[in-house]
Amino acid sequence: MNAMNRPDAAPPPLLETRDLLIKFGGVTAADHVSMQIEAGKNLAIIGPNGAGKTTFLNICTGWLKPHKGKVFLEGEDITPLPPRKIVRRGVARAFQIPQLFTEHTALENLLISAAAREGLRNPLQNLHNISQRDEMMHLLDLVHCTDVADRVVVELSEGQRKLIDIAVALALKPRLLLMDEPTSGVASSQKHEVMEILVGALAEAGVTSVFVEHDMGIVERHADEVAVWNAGNVQLRGTPREILEHPDVIRDVIGEEVA
Amino acid sequence: MDLTIFLLALFDGISYAALVFIVALGLTLIFGVMRILNVAHGSLYAIGAYATVSLTGFVLSLGLAPVLSFPLMLISAVLVGVLLGGPIEWLLLRRIYDKPEVLQLLVTFAVFMILEDVQRLVWGTQPYFQASALQALGNVTLFGVTYTVYQLILLSVVAMGLLFGLRFFLRHTVIGKLILATTEDREAAQSIGIDADRVFLFTFIVGAVLAGLGGALASPTTSILPGMGADMIVLSFAVVATAGLGQIEGAAVAALLIGLGRSFAIYVWPEVAVLVPYLIMVLVLLVRPQGLFGTSVARKI
Repeated sequence: MNAMNRPDAAPPPLLETRDLLIKFGGVTAADHVSMQIEAGKNLAIIGPNGAGKTTFLNICTGWLKPHKGKVFLEGEDITPLPPRKIVRRGVARAFQIPQLFTEHTALENLLISAAAREGLRNPLQNLHNISQRDEMMHLLDLVHCTDVADRVVVELSEGQRKLIDIAVALALKPRLLLMDEPTSGVASSQKHEVMEILVGALAEAGVTSVFVEHDMGIVERHADEVAVWNAGNVQLRGTPREILEHPDVIRDVIGEEVA
Repeated sequence: MDLTIFLLALFDGISYAALVFIVALGLTLIFGVMRILNVAHGSLYAIGAYATVSLTGFVLSLGLAPVLSFPLMLISAVLVGVLLGGPIEWLLLRRIYDKPEVLQLLVTFAVFMILEDVQRLVWGTQPYFQASALQALGNVTLFGVTYTVYQLILLSVVAMGLLFGLRFFLRHTVIGKLILATTEDREAAQSIGIDADRVFLFTFIVGAVLAGLGGALASPTTSILPGMGADMIVLSFAVVATAGLGQIEGAAVAALLIGLGRSFAIYVWPEVAVLVPYLIMVLVLLVRPQGLFGTSVARKI
């Protein structure tokens, strides 16, 4: 009998990895990582440098192929798919350095993203006239960047670029957004503000997120759940309070961050 | 120099510049997007000319009207772009985008050599003439100088149309923006779901069609013979390098500069006429190594 027909069967998690293994030379960057990500939460990943946090994001988005193990999106194996196909299935990625098209305006970046999402139904249409324009203006509004819509990206501040990068990812209508240090490079006085806007936009768009973060203040205030990475695997997982007060974390992770 | 000679040189230069520009446009588009200097572009130009002559000869032998040679030029160009350009990108170039430039140059040069022999195999070494398109449009007299409508007006109009058309296409249409985005950052393009492989294939085919179209349009004005591809790739490379690699509008200015320089030299100092395009290139590159319109800013990654 098909599992789908059983009313009591729990739906598969949004994203699940089983036994991911990857080695770079002698370093095991993913050491049998099995992880489940449930829909609707903001999960922070913390851990010392070289623990394999970014590697995990890269495997989930198809930029790295694991030597062993699999990645499932709602129960479907996406391990062999190239990055662009994984994006199309609803897993978007934001990098540490915003990957924007810097010679185009903020709005154009979103429109390009929308056009990539919709495919080429009318390739010769003017980009500014595509039917998703209002939707993209709404996304810019969500990240509080309406006023810079027509500015070329090179002219914007790092905080604005980060927010526009997130809007570009949201333009793809993902179900899950993986972010590598969403506030790195943002002035520390603005970090919470950027994160506030970001979390609000994710909630409004109904997007689950996973973000790598070094700033424990950000983790404490903005994450629903925290996973601690160490030596290529998940060492601990829990609420921000549980994790940040855990003696192992204070010793291994927070100690290092303070140093 | 009297006015008649001046006008003749001017018209020669303009019509010649228009042809070279069309070929150089394809070369610079491919370089701008894929960072590959495609030496085989010259062969695609030559095969575009041969294909037009053969198709036109066939249609005329059926007793059909000479004006049909115009659509046949377009058909030849598209055939060259799709049937030759497509497989060159798909089978060869796709595998070497991340390899050193020297290797890329050698591979496209090898394709050029192979296609040169293919031309000899298919069309032999005897020159072909097929000027029915030239005759179909007749002559025009401007300030007392009679010139063919085809060379003076049609070629210029097509070249201008392609220049503005490609500019508009790249800067305003959805697909053009996706091409520019992929050019700027291939990884970022893929991370928003753009199929960069398809963008490159499409761009290469467009560039190859332009080479084929250049050959097709040149066919009524010249004799078609082995070696014409080599001449054209060197000349269009001179145009592209003078303008700055990847500069579309710059290529138009450089083509005019080189075309006019060459045609005036033919009347004034014929012994050096062949050298003039390269002298212009060397002079420009000595002063501005990045070309007239090139930027010396390093590309991201």
